[in-house]
Amino acid sequence: MSQLRSIPRALKLPLTKLQTPLQHRPFTQTHSTHGKKPLPPRLKLDDSDLSVAYLKGTGPGGQKINKTNSAVQISHKPTGIVIKCQATRSQSQNHKIARSLLADRVEAHLKGDQSPSRVSIKAEAARKKKASKVKKARRKYWGLEGESAELEGEEGGGDDGEVLDADSLAGESEDGVGGRRVEEGEVQEVESRKGLKDTKDESV
Amino acid sequence: MPRIRPSALIKAYRDNPLLPLLLKECRTLGSARNELRWLREHALRTSQTRTRQQPNPTTPLAEWKMHLISMCRQRSRGYPLQYILGDQPFGDLEILCRPGVLIPRPDTESYVVQAAKLVEQMATASERSSTSTDKNDPKPLRILDLCTGTGCITLLLHALLSPRFEHLRVMGIDISSKALSLARKNLDHNLQQGLLTHRASTDIQFHRADVLGFPPGADGGDDADGIPNVEKILSEYFDQPGETEMSEAPLNLEPGCDLLISNPPYISSSDFRNGTTARSVRLFEPKLALVPPLPPQFQQSPNPTPTPTSAMGDVRPEDIFYRRILELSYKLRTKVTVLECGDIKQAERVIEMHNFMAPGQDRFQDPFDVQVWPNNEQDMAFYGFHHNEGSRCVIIQRGVRSSDSK
Repeated sequence: MSQLRSIPRALKLPLTKLQTPLQHRPFTQTHSTHGKKPLPPRLKLDDSDLSVAYLKGTGPGGQKINKTNSAVQISHKPTGIVIKCQATRSQSQNHKIARSLLADRVEAHLKGDQSPSRVSIKAEAARKKKASKVKKARRKYWGLEGESAELEGEEGGGDDGEVLDADSLAGESEDGVGGRRVEEGEVQEVESRKGLKDTKDESV
Repeated sequence: MPRIRPSALIKAYRDNPLLPLLLKECRTLGSARNELRWLREHALRTSQTRTRQQPNPTTPLAEWKMHLISMCRQRSRGYPLQYILGDQPFGDLEILCRPGVLIPRPDTESYVVQAAKLVEQMATASERSSTSTDKNDPKPLRILDLCTGTGCITLLLHALLSPRFEHLRVMGIDISSKALSLARKNLDHNLQQGLLTHRASTDIQFHRADVLGFPPGADGGDDADGIPNVEKILSEYFDQPGETEMSEAPLNLEPGCDLLISNPPYISSSDFRNGTTARSVRLFEPKLALVPPLPPQFQQSPNPTPTPTSAMGDVRPEDIFYRRILELSYKLRTKVTVLECGDIKQAERVIEMHNFMAPGQDRFQDPFDVQVWPNNEQDMAFYGFHHNEGSRCVIIQRGVRSSDSK
């Protein structure tokens, strides 16, 4: 252990002096090559298989209230998959997002895990991206124990955006910066997989 | 309104310290989260554009956060989200919203989509029946939107119908000059965004007029404000002048208007005060667009309890717009009339009114088809209507055989 610690400490001193050249060092991005391949075309869904609902909520409507609920729920009858989307304030926009997500879901459901579908390709890319990020972070901060606690905390916060994880939704919407609309839609969708029960329970 | 449980507030606070503020107005955690996300996006966008225009030496991070907090405070007082963000999606359009003009509702969007569907159906039906007399049809499809407000109905109808109809004339009418200038701004805005075709600038017109237009003698003061009576505008716009129909109209007159659509003020003054109307609406949206003005005979009495007089023809104060609009609709020989109503009861009252008012000769010549929409489970589920609560619209179609409509 003492040997391991001594190496970074020795590195640390010259590094602080050489900070400017270090900043200009070009970073290599290994994951960029994976994302370049075009995704296979999206599955076309039959309109007759879908049941769409624009959720407005109950109670008096029209001019008397001004609800901002714009959720759209689409269910695919043959597979029973339900997608609810409220990513944007526009119902027509939400409809489009929900539909494309549903197509991906249905494709993944029908093809299973063996053949590469859009979902599995995307998930794989996300997994690789995260793995490389974690690896880099580990390499960078390895041994800098004095600062490691803070730095890893920051790193963790940044990661939330990339992961399609329902539990990280809160963190995602906390720290999310603009220009990540579609991803937010996807996160929404994962959340919605838990079903409508969730949103009903939340009413206070 | 049930109070928010402290546990819910604590849960929301742990999630984000700003959520309890939004929860006050949104009432559910889900919608509060959504609103927070939209507000944050807005705050970030505005701070980005501002820093791009004039780079600020102070940190932009603190600036957008301050902006976000102040917006959440506004929202907690019930200030409408659409006034804060400045717009509201309506169909595929983006409608600008400003204080003093009613915010477009999703219900209205459903009615517009349904109206556009009916007009298209009607056009295909008439094409099929009159292929022999087809002369490339230079007559435009004429649409009239009364009490247009932001112009949302007018603009969305143009967006929906312009691919199908080469000649289209849409007119929006409102009494408020604030609303009209916003409607014109909305037309320009959606043209700029490419959400409307360039034809829209010539096809669409907005005019200021008093739809209710009580006879000038009876009301004196109000009508002397220089607001033209709606019939004057209509007689200039549509081929046939308004006066001829009053006495006797030629029976084979061509319809002057294909679609008359309106979302007039329809809240009764008691519903406005007794808690049925949401706080946010009551406090921050224009009363002019929500509650119809009391006709002169009610204004004089100190307590405005509706005592229907014979002159009013048993019309409740909250229904006075419908009576007037139906009258105009008969004069223009409108093919399809679509009227938004507050609830099923009001819709039924409008139908009763129609049955009473519809000119007998027309009824005989080409029967009306009247319905409250949505009226089946499928439509209600699709558009998210409650099966017995919430708004409805009345659709009156002229010259449709009942066998055709079913």
